[in-house]
Amino acid sequence: MFAVKFLPLIFKYVTRKKIRSALTVGGVATAMFLFYAVHAMQQGVREATEQSAADTKLVVYRQDRYCPFSSQLPQDYATRIAAVPGVKAVVPVKVLVNNCRTGLDVVTFRGVPLQSFEEGFFTHARLSSGSLESWKNRSDAALIGQKLANRRGLKVGDRMEIGGLTITVAGILDSPEPQDQNVAYTHLEFVQRATDNKVGIVTQFNVAVHDPGQLDKVAKAIDDEFRHSQEPTATWSEKNFVARSVTDIIEIVNFASWLGWGCVIGVFALVFNAIVLSVRDRIRDHAVMQTLGYGKGLIAGLIIGESLILSLSGGLIGIGAGIIFTSWGGLSLSVEGLSIHVQAGLDSVLLGFAMCIFTGVVAGLAPAWQASRREIAACFRAV
Amino acid sequence: MRFLPFDYSVRNLGRSKTRLVLTILASALVVILIMSAAAFVRGMDTSLVVAADASNAILVASGSEESIERSQIPGNTASMVAADLSGIKTRFGMPFVSPEIHVALIVRSEKEGGQEMRALVRGVSPGAFLVHPRVNIVEGRSPQPGKDEIMVGGLASQMMGVPDSRLRIGQSLWLDNRNWTVVGRFRARGTVMDAEVWIPITDLQVATKRDTLSCVVLTLGEAEFDDVDAFTKQRLDLGLTALRETDYFGSVMRFYKPVHAMIWTSALLVSLAGLLGGLNTMYAAFAARVREIGMLQALGYSRMAITFSLMQESLLTALAGTLVGAAISRLLIDGRAVKFSMGVFQLVIDEQVLLMGLSAGLVMGLIGAAPPAWRCLRLSIHEALRAA
Repeated sequence: MFAVKFLPLIFKYVTRKKIRSALTVGGVATAMFLFYAVHAMQQGVREATEQSAADTKLVVYRQDRYCPFSSQLPQDYATRIAAVPGVKAVVPVKVLVNNCRTGLDVVTFRGVPLQSFEEGFFTHARLSSGSLESWKNRSDAALIGQKLANRRGLKVGDRMEIGGLTITVAGILDSPEPQDQNVAYTHLEFVQRATDNKVGIVTQFNVAVHDPGQLDKVAKAIDDEFRHSQEPTATWSEKNFVARSVTDIIEIVNFASWLGWGCVIGVFALVFNAIVLSVRDRIRDHAVMQTLGYGKGLIAGLIIGESLILSLSGGLIGIGAGIIFTSWGGLSLSVEGLSIHVQAGLDSVLLGFAMCIFTGVVAGLAPAWQASRREIAACFRAV
Repeated sequence: MRFLPFDYSVRNLGRSKTRLVLTILASALVVILIMSAAAFVRGMDTSLVVAADASNAILVASGSEESIERSQIPGNTASMVAADLSGIKTRFGMPFVSPEIHVALIVRSEKEGGQEMRALVRGVSPGAFLVHPRVNIVEGRSPQPGKDEIMVGGLASQMMGVPDSRLRIGQSLWLDNRNWTVVGRFRARGTVMDAEVWIPITDLQVATKRDTLSCVVLTLGEAEFDDVDAFTKQRLDLGLTALRETDYFGSVMRFYKPVHAMIWTSALLVSLAGLLGGLNTMYAAFAARVREIGMLQALGYSRMAITFSLMQESLLTALAGTLVGAAISRLLIDGRAVKFSMGVFQLVIDEQVLLMGLSAGLVMGLIGAAPPAWRCLRLSIHEALRAA
């Protein structure tokens, strides 16, 4: 009832000093945009690296390697891996990236055998356009991830030249997996011949296991199988493999999280500053209101309400801009052929608004307390 | 035109000490942010510019022009280039030709288990010291082939995330189940090489079981770059592409432009939020002085003179903040090592970055005062004098 009855009055307070309110809302919007963008980056890292109990995928890499160019494993390991108890399917993958450094426009080529899509390894993905048949029929065909297609404006039938490889887009892959969204799946031999012409050598094996609870056991069994081979292996769950490889990006994101909390402090400072100035301008108004019988709690409530509206208005604009930016921007940070997508979900939006409400209330508390405890006579004398 | 005394502006600053301190701190924070972003970009660019030698050419595999790490060329390329290409710089008959392998590897503190460390490893021959003159051995000696010896750069410990003492001479590391001893330490200040581990190229080929090279770096003497380019076009069987070293590192710099843009955007957005908060404060501060401004006009001071005085106040505060920010940046940020996928580089607070911070402070002072001052001065003298 309080909110509804006094809302028009609070809005009048907010709009009385238009420039001040606009500057405050602008500042809060800028800070909340950054906060949201940072949280979207953190969310992308979590999506790509946090293992869940239902995960069933392993990555077999060359021991003591973390760069796709130095991990070289014989393709015939696939037969021995498939024979390890608990293994459901094995896909040998040759990875090629246009650049192994950390960047925002890295394209990853993954050469896989023709039958990979039929053996149930990509059941989580579907083709939003194009066809598997046309991918099989052309040796230079590629199925590309949705984010890569959006970023480069590619559609079925287009040709793309990058990193010395020219591919023809045969389909756009729609997959919930973060690592499928920024890649081009090509024929295995096409990538093998295009790089070092070493047919029979692959970068890694992607392995699916029957039972998620057996993930670690199967990983150990695979490594034991090749422990004394010329090319020993190191096997991780897919999420752990990504977490191990993208430490650079995780460092950047961890650093950025400080920026995110800095933004929250910034929002507090902006709203607090605006409310202090606003309350100082309205000392006489508060004296009149107290004379007319308005309680101290009500005056405090009005001030906190004003603070909340300023904070929430800025948050609405900033978070809205953040949603547009992360949805349309299609930003991905990539390193060593693995990508972290800047993406935010509902929890980022809710956290953003929760932060606005929290900072709005807290920033209004001190001025509200100060205004509510001031005596009427002191208020009139202060003017 | 009669100006207000400078003292008038200075004394006005003391009206609200809390506001003054907060404004100085906010200005300092914005300047620190701007200077940090500039130091990051300058540091990264400098490490790439310094690493490049205008008289050097690099031969890489065709299609791998963007990234030497993914390039693979025949192992005998260096000897063929030295024999077939005339005009390469020589010293005492030794051509400035350096066959190299660039590879990112995991090294361990112990044979089994132990700490995993990521290292940027470069396989080199004695020719590397000729084509990379910035590399100086500062301790020990260069590693000998066949003895499992390595040499580490001054920032290699930062890259590997271990204390510098872990890479002292005599210490050992495990790489591909072999124990390698540190026999030398080098510095290549300001370049990406400073974070690398150097191993004799033949030993690295054996350890990584590869017979190819990543690239061949050569220094031009009488020959021109076009001669090297012509060589690669004549020897199509080798699948080579010739690049000027400056062009290669230029392309690396271009690759990082989006990352730079992201850093600049973040710094500018935070600064914008700070500026908007500052404007709010200045609006309130100047609005409370409308009657005073009217009085000054009544005393004969022109609007221009009053604006100038208000600007002085704002600039003094902003510049005080700028000085604090610049001092903090210089003390805490300058020289800090930052690990990135290309290696390690140091943040640089040089004259250009200082100038940028100073300019940011100046702009902040001017923009922070101009709109509020204009708003106060819009009123006529009698309106201003009537203002509460």
